Amino acid sequence: MHSEVGTTLAEALRDELSLTGTKVACAEGHCGACTVLIDGVPTLSCITLVHTVGDAKVTTIEGLRDHPMVHAFVREDALQCGFCTPGQIVSAVALVDATPKPSTEEIRHAMAGNLCRCGAYPKIEEAIRTWQD
Amino acid sequence: MELRRASSLELDGGTPLHGGTELVPLLRSGIVQAETLVDIRGVVPRGIDGSTIGAGATLAELECDPQIPDALREACRLAASPQLRNVGSLGGNLLQSTRCWYWRLKWPCRLHRTSDGFGEECFAQEGEHREHAIFENGFCASAHPSDVAAALVALGATLRTNRRELPVADLYRLPSEDDRRTTTLEPGELLLSVELPQTDRSVYLKAMDRKSWGFPLVGVAAARTEGETRVALAGVAPIPWLLEGSLDDATPLPRNAYKVDVARALVKRAVSSLEAS
Repeated sequence: MHSEVGTTLAEALRDELSLTGTKVACAEGHCGACTVLIDGVPTLSCITLVHTVGDAKVTTIEGLRDHPMVHAFVREDALQCGFCTPGQIVSAVALVDATPKPSTEEIRHAMAGNLCRCGAYPKIEEAIRTWQD
Repeated sequence: MELRRASSLELDGGTPLHGGTELVPLLRSGIVQAETLVDIRGVVPRGIDGSTIGAGATLAELECDPQIPDALREACRLAASPQLRNVGSLGGNLLQSTRCWYWRLKWPCRLHRTSDGFGEECFAQEGEHREHAIFENGFCASAHPSDVAAALVALGATLRTNRRELPVADLYRLPSEDDRRTTTLEPGELLLSVELPQTDRSVYLKAMDRKSWGFPLVGVAAARTEGETRVALAGVAPIPWLLEGSLDDATPLPRNAYKVDVARALVKRAVSSLEAS
């Protein structure tokens, strides 16, 4: 990678590595569309400088292609425009890795940083609740 | 711009970077300019050991640690979003800047440098100030957004830096004509840890525009020790506000008087919950 210092992880993923599954919406850390896992922890790639990532393992939506959570989102129709969906799925995967059967309260707390302007929240919640089905 | 990893607490003029949730947006919007960023994650303590908390501990670590008093734990749990709490540090949270939209949009206000000094106007006073201060808003009406700071002020916590020890409340200062800073942090000074005194019970209550992931319209922290209760508020003054007088002393602007009512209700609820439990 040849990014200048100041480049964000989201920019490096999308522009240098052509991993465009990670979306950038607000670009200032509010909306959660750009969420990736850094060593398993949901992190906002739009405000993470790529030079601070070091040797940590970064997982994007491309790396979760075969995760049952993707199929749960499709099955439950948990999206409308789909722009926030990669970030939603990344956050949801981290949640169920730690808590395989999360309660409604746990789902809402863990997913609070992923905004959906289409308002697909009830179906997103249902997808996470039923991801193992 | 350069970035290096700190090998000691000496920054050599560099700008310290920890979780970056505050600094990176400010760098990218041009409010903060830096030639050298210094990644201080390796040198700032981050453990939680009884009443001592490393300033590098993340809010996510604090929100679920049973050693942490309720007011601080709840302030962390109700702050920001999960992704921000995962990397945002205790020290960084205390040093965050106001959410005043005029300041964030770089209007030349009294807290911003201009080509010949500082701005000479507070645009919020005559403009949109629904989320702004109801105390000490005559010079700058910005509201301090840190839930955590209000909790620590109510708890009577002490800060240790690489230069000194000080009560958390003394980290903050009201900006004035002669000195526009809102903290007393000196160049090169780093927050290292927070020491919590013994308290009997504490609580943090927060009013937000939505049920989660919002800055405090009003946050109320209350801590009770040996029959004495200390109350501190977030979102009501340019600094975390230790409530020593009455909410009747508030000086709201035309469109934020609702905050006085919200604060009154939350203070009453917080204090009575401590007395009841």
